[in-house]
Amino acid sequence: MSDDYLTDALRNPRGRDGRAPDVFRRGGWVPMREYPDDELVDFVIVGTGAGGGPLACRLAEAGFSVVAFDAGAWWRPLEEFASDEAHQEKLFWTGERLCDGDNPLKLGTNNSGRAVGGSTVHFAMVSLRFRPEWFKSRTLLGYGLDWPLDWQDMWRYYTEVEQALKISGPVRYPWGPKRPRYPYRQHEVNAPGLALARACEAMGIAWAPTPLATVSAPREHSPPCVYRGFCVTGCATNAKQSGLITWIPWAVKAGAEIRDLAMVGRIETGEDGLASGVHYHREGEWRFQRARNVVVAGYAIETPRLLLNSANSRYPDGLANSSGLVGKNLMVHTNQAVWGTLEEEVRWYKGPPSLSLSEHWNYEDSGKDFFGGYAFMSQGPLPAAWAGAQTGNHGLWGQALVDEMQKYNHQVGLKIVGETLPQERNCVTLADERDEFGLPVARVTWSECDNDRRLVNHAVDFMRRGLEGIDARDIWAEADGTAHLMGTARMGSDPATSVVNADCRSWDIPNLWICDGSVFPTSGGVNPSETIQAIALRTANRIRELARRGEL
Amino acid sequence: MVSKTRLDWLALAVTGTLTAVSLVWQHREANRSSGSRPANTTLIHSARRLNRGAGILAGAVLLDSAMEHYRGQFENRAMYTPLITATLSLLASSKGFADLTPHSGKLRNGIYIGTVLTGVAGSGFHLWNVTKRPGGFGWTNLFYSAPLGAPAALILSGVLGHYAERLRSETRNIVPRVLGLPAGQSMALMSAAGLIGTSAEAGLFHFRGSFQNPAMYLPVTAPPLSAVLLTASALAGANRPHLRWASRLCLRFTLLLGVAGACFHALGAARNHGGWRNWRQNLQAGPPLPAPPSFTGLALAGLAAQRLLDEEQSVKAHYLGWHP
Ligand SMILES: Cc1cc2nc3c(=O)[nH]c(=O)nc-3n(C[C@H](O)[C@H](O)[C@H](O)COP(=O)(O)OP(=O)(O)OC[C@H]3O[C@@H](n4cnc5c(N)ncnc54)[C@H](O)[C@@H]3O)c2cc1C
Ligand code: SF4
Repeated sequence: MSDDYLTDALRNPRGRDGRAPDVFRRGGWVPMREYPDDELVDFVIVGTGAGGGPLACRLAEAGFSVVAFDAGAWWRPLEEFASDEAHQEKLFWTGERLCDGDNPLKLGTNNSGRAVGGSTVHFAMVSLRFRPEWFKSRTLLGYGLDWPLDWQDMWRYYTEVEQALKISGPVRYPWGPKRPRYPYRQHEVNAPGLALARACEAMGIAWAPTPLATVSAPREHSPPCVYRGFCVTGCATNAKQSGLITWIPWAVKAGAEIRDLAMVGRIETGEDGLASGVHYHREGEWRFQRARNVVVAGYAIETPRLLLNSANSRYPDGLANSSGLVGKNLMVHTNQAVWGTLEEEVRWYKGPPSLSLSEHWNYEDSGKDFFGGYAFMSQGPLPAAWAGAQTGNHGLWGQALVDEMQKYNHQVGLKIVGETLPQERNCVTLADERDEFGLPVARVTWSECDNDRRLVNHAVDFMRRGLEGIDARDIWAEADGTAHLMGTARMGSDPATSVVNADCRSWDIPNLWICDGSVFPTSGGVNPSETIQAIALRTANRIRELARRGEL
Repeated sequence: MVSKTRLDWLALAVTGTLTAVSLVWQHREANRSSGSRPANTTLIHSARRLNRGAGILAGAVLLDSAMEHYRGQFENRAMYTPLITATLSLLASSKGFADLTPHSGKLRNGIYIGTVLTGVAGSGFHLWNVTKRPGGFGWTNLFYSAPLGAPAALILSGVLGHYAERLRSETRNIVPRVLGLPAGQSMALMSAAGLIGTSAEAGLFHFRGSFQNPAMYLPVTAPPLSAVLLTASALAGANRPHLRWASRLCLRFTLLLGVAGACFHALGAARNHGGWRNWRQNLQAGPPLPAPPSFTGLALAGLAAQRLLDEEQSVKAHYLGWHP
């Protein structure tokens, strides 16, 4: 198979001529409804990831006409996902961005994707719920700010996401209020996962097999996971329940149109101040799709970039930005790790990278000198990623690097998903530089605060003691590292201090919505995708409700 | 690719077919066995059925432990033991099945007792394997470390075989007794216990598989029902012909289910990545093909028990002068 074939999707749009790729059959196609540009569709959705995917699906199922755009390609996982870390970079958003601040972010593989299905195509499948108190963290825990959402309401939508994606999770989850049983059972915990378990037992805290969005038993078109561990480069078996093989095919079936390789450059507003459609670039030309409603779901960087890039004479500071908060309060998850070597062979690359975890420090409030929480998970980086950590944060080179890499099969590690606080100085703004479409690129500014640092120190110290507790040798801490991005268009109850309301509807322009990770007011200490999807399902429900009442 | 609706239909169709076949079989058998046979032949016949049941169980254990322990790379020498014992039990059983004499085989009996002991030791090993892992008796280990129920099948095989041999040596007695109970009753109870235990194991693993195929509910319903009916009919005595009828039917269903189950497991294996073309991996990764036939072996034992119960009653009737 030539490389040409493997990257065909990057050059030739596939969602066209009334059909879409069938991701479950080699070379297969399924029919797809199409809308002409000049048809006034009910919803245009920009981005088809964790936010846009479920929303497109549910809105189409509710009978709305929906066109969803994605700048990325429409992959066929069974045919086009190679077991090759370098090749699979084709899934990431590697377009230019400028990064500054005290702790400039490293953007690319570890934070954002560009494909139909968004970042869920290569995410690590960890599917966690927020701790209920986090939805009122200002009131109940004394930091950050309150969400305009009720945790019990969210609990129902979490259940809906878990059912839809057949999350494979533990029979008993040790933390938080009772949750319904996960639809599929927990996976077998691999050796690095058992190392985490032993470390937790040594430290006297609870651990659990990680709830994952990859099936532990057959599901319709998905075989059970084969534990080969290529998850973060894209799952080639379709065991992973990414948006690409769940929400998107369901959306297409329900009558939505998905346009791949279609970069939205600007949202247009009409004389009434309402959004009237989007300008998008596809097949070498700029086109315009008319719409009654526009939803932005491009992730925490591209969403504010698009809103800011859409500034016009009526909205000179960008759309939905009367609060001045579009692009502000960018949050990341800190992603520090502690690594060590075990006597016995571990082979940590086998299986999904994080098969066990502890949320102890998300639910325990005493014994902390910081606000917020963190989860830590077992690790299994693929060889190139591991070599990257060695040459980068570990600073090894030459013979030292070779020696270190020899230990690959004996290595274990614990890594956090750590909460950071929202700060206005952390933001996405527009740079003077332009991308291949002639659009100003994003400048991403991030600096940690004292609280963020204290959290990381606590975590690194705790995890180090955990690894010492299982007799790991050569322990070292990777002090740098961030993952998921959130914030930049936060939801709230007050138009002065937030960009959208609880329904993800912008305060300024009632037919402009934002539905992705950027609406998070706080970041929580868990991976965000399940919360994003739950919010999307809630938004779809609310839209249906509003439509029924004639309030759209 | 199998859609949910197709699986629903498949499960329904298979349940219907198995029921129909069981009914027809039952009907035919009733006609055939209306002429009563001399007690000795019945006992030997039952003993041979038991040998066959023991053999099927041994065969299942042999294949299953061969596959699973191969997967575990025979990390521990002791992992060869069940292969050897199960082979011996299989040989003894086929020898017993061919044996029409009323004498118990000393060697066979010895092998069967050895089989039981290996099963007990295996259970101990597996238990130890579970408890030494992090999480102890948690679900992860119950699902994924050495299965507690597997060596128990070896115990059952040995017990069935031992029964067969005891039964042969009882042919001189008017009402044959095994382990202090009339043979029919004690065998019924033992088969019932085996069915319940095996069904519990199927329950555990089908729970692990999230009952993703509705047919996965069959082995957790039919065998326990068979066990209950069998026990009830063994304890209730002669005057409950309907109970006996239902118990037989249910046992026949369970017997066939063992075969259908192997086919379902083949389907399950094919639904793994790569399907049948990838059989070398998927026979290991998918549900074990040899597991469901254990139900066939136990159901055979149950049916043999039913026959003995009949026999005991006719003997009783003869000596006590009443007819059921
Ligand atoms: C390596 C990795 C591992 C991860 N692991 C986990 C995990 O285990 N658990 C978890 O919960 N989360 C994980 N995440 C995070 C998770 O994937 C994201 O938080 C989530 O997908 C974000 O959802 P979203 O809808 O905001 O954006 P995305 O899912 O990124 O979707 C945005 C989409 O919008 C498209 N887009 C953006 N701008 C435009 C435009 N102007 N025009 C057209 N299209 C546009 C992009 O191409 C992209 O496809 C991981 C992320 C990465 C990178
Ligand atoms: S380990 Fe499982 S989820 Fe990950 S890529 Fe392989 S099959 Fe897919």
